[in-house]
Amino acid sequence: MNACIHARSAGRPAAAIVGVAICCTLLAGCATHERRLLAIRDGFYAGDLPQASTELDEGLKRKSRDSEVLLLERSIVQLAEGDAQGAERTLRYVRDRFDYLEQASLGESALAMLTDDTRKAYAGEDYEKVLIRAMLSISSLLGDGQDAAAYALQVADKQNQIVMAAAKDAGEDGKNPKLAYKRVALGPYLHGLIREQTHANYDDAARDNAMVVSWLPGFPYGRQDLERAQHGRHSAPGNGVLYVFAFVGRGPYKEETLELPTTVSLLVADRILSAAGNYSVPPTIAPVKVPRMVVPPNEVARLQVSVDGRAAGATETITDVGRMAVEQHEANYPRIIAEAVARRVIKKGVVLGAKEALGANEATLASLALNVAGIAWEATEAADTRCWGLLPDKIQVLRIELPAGEHQIGVAPVAQYGAVGAQRRQSVAILDGRNTYLLANFPDARLVGILSTNQP
Amino acid sequence: MNRRSFVSGALAALTAGSLGGCRGKQYAKVMHEGEPGMVGSHQAGGETFKPLIDEAVAKLLGRQAEDRNVGPEGLPPPPRRICFVAVENKSSEELGDFKDQIYEQIDAKILESQMFQPVSKRFVDAGLMQTRLRPDMLMVPDNMRMFAATMEQQGQPFDYLLYATITSGTTRENKDYQRDYLLTLDLVNVHTGQYDKQAANLSKGYYHSRIGRLRSMNPLHQ
Repeated sequence: MNACIHARSAGRPAAAIVGVAICCTLLAGCATHERRLLAIRDGFYAGDLPQASTELDEGLKRKSRDSEVLLLERSIVQLAEGDAQGAERTLRYVRDRFDYLEQASLGESALAMLTDDTRKAYAGEDYEKVLIRAMLSISSLLGDGQDAAAYALQVADKQNQIVMAAAKDAGEDGKNPKLAYKRVALGPYLHGLIREQTHANYDDAARDNAMVVSWLPGFPYGRQDLERAQHGRHSAPGNGVLYVFAFVGRGPYKEETLELPTTVSLLVADRILSAAGNYSVPPTIAPVKVPRMVVPPNEVARLQVSVDGRAAGATETITDVGRMAVEQHEANYPRIIAEAVARRVIKKGVVLGAKEALGANEATLASLALNVAGIAWEATEAADTRCWGLLPDKIQVLRIELPAGEHQIGVAPVAQYGAVGAQRRQSVAILDGRNTYLLANFPDARLVGILSTNQP
Repeated sequence: MNRRSFVSGALAALTAGSLGGCRGKQYAKVMHEGEPGMVGSHQAGGETFKPLIDEAVAKLLGRQAEDRNVGPEGLPPPPRRICFVAVENKSSEELGDFKDQIYEQIDAKILESQMFQPVSKRFVDAGLMQTRLRPDMLMVPDNMRMFAATMEQQGQPFDYLLYATITSGTTRENKDYQRDYLLTLDLVNVHTGQYDKQAANLSKGYYHSRIGRLRSMNPLHQ
């Protein structure tokens, strides 16, 4: 009987090897987004916006699964160029695409199990989904401002949706892993400043500022904003308000790393696999490729703002993007490793299945070829390093009440030990009883793009 | 572990891992009049605010109309002008995008009454901005005079100031809770200082589970 099986399968090894080789070729993971992002980041941080735009255009021509995330990068370039309305359009498109893509897809999930997560369309990290709404609000404020309040409300709304949707992922202890997410205070902050400007909705502004104080107790301007909304007024007659938004430092990005599965991730992987049958994870497993969140060191601590040559204050952090990205990534890390482990086990299962079908034992050439092909298949796996790479490390704000009229606003980056870059100036017209907005992008000691305002 | 169980387990896991379903598109439909609307599962929505507005505005304006339906020489009295200052939210829930809609609905109902004429919100906002007065500061006589004078300068004199306030009270029963919503309309005659008030309330139960909701419908449940 055995002889018969060997005789029948004698012609199959070549076909099996070719089959697995084709698998390796077709199902190999994509080149990492990390490499593509590098050129874009280099151009942007060098202040070469045309170069960054060209790299983005090249990437977008390919119509890959990176398209949405590349458009996110484009929105930051547009904001730096002063094209707030263009940035708003771009962000709105990506927001809607992410809302669609965050639904599970049968085909993509199956393909990702045989290849890697880069085969899935990118629906954004949780912090990115929330920050898209915050960036939309800022873009709108720098444009016509029509939808800024709606976007600001969507910030908290999206956070609630994310946390509620994760209730089903509760661990053994029954705890929702995303309940620990820090709330993004930028949303209520933006909504509060918009409502305060109406001069009729101080109760909304007070409620929003109370949220800011509660979610971000360390924000030094929080208390005075709350006090003003509760008992004060937007500005004295004849005055207006300037809000300076500062994008400070280089934001987080992902890089590929090899990780040994932890006990927690093996447990989660076991749950994924055993959900469908009586299969369990082997007791040991080789390291798997997973993405790791990296926040580069940043020199710029804040921006020193001057008005008509006199110091007017310094921007303070309302959203620590880097820390938020790292904390959220850590919360999801066991799950990411577990999925990589499950994928590894499935790949091994498929190779073993091919051997079984061929009746190839360990000593045959076919078996050796399948082993090699299996190793190659696993080696082609890539960690999903897609992320919004041009986000700043910190989003900072400063509110200054000024007499209505034209003012020279100066912004200079400062480190913990003092000034690190030259001051940049912009003339701004303050309107009586109104808010004026100014955005400065300082990933390093020098300004990238222009100081943009909501004035033509 | 034998190979067959390994393979079948792996394939089953692959199937299970990929059974996420397909991406669906979002759909919408126009809700026709009389069709039951959605009911907010976590906080108040249209199902709460619409009846509150209808009841409070109708009762308040009705009572005011009764008091002044006899005009000089038998003619209908000229419409009185109402300056609707603000909707104040003092409830435990944020109103989100509902607040401006509540304002607009009340404003539209005042206009529909034809006995009262609201001052446009744009003028009200401009008046508040020009005087830098908070809505809650208008009850101080000097502030009210200043605001009235500013509105007159804009060609928008008014007879009444109107405030809408939303408050809530929560009663908890284990994981379920009942929230009572109260919409209060305060109408102040700026010439006489006379004050009228109308409230409408609506209670809503929030249940942790369907069983909790069914239990609340049981007549024997106390």
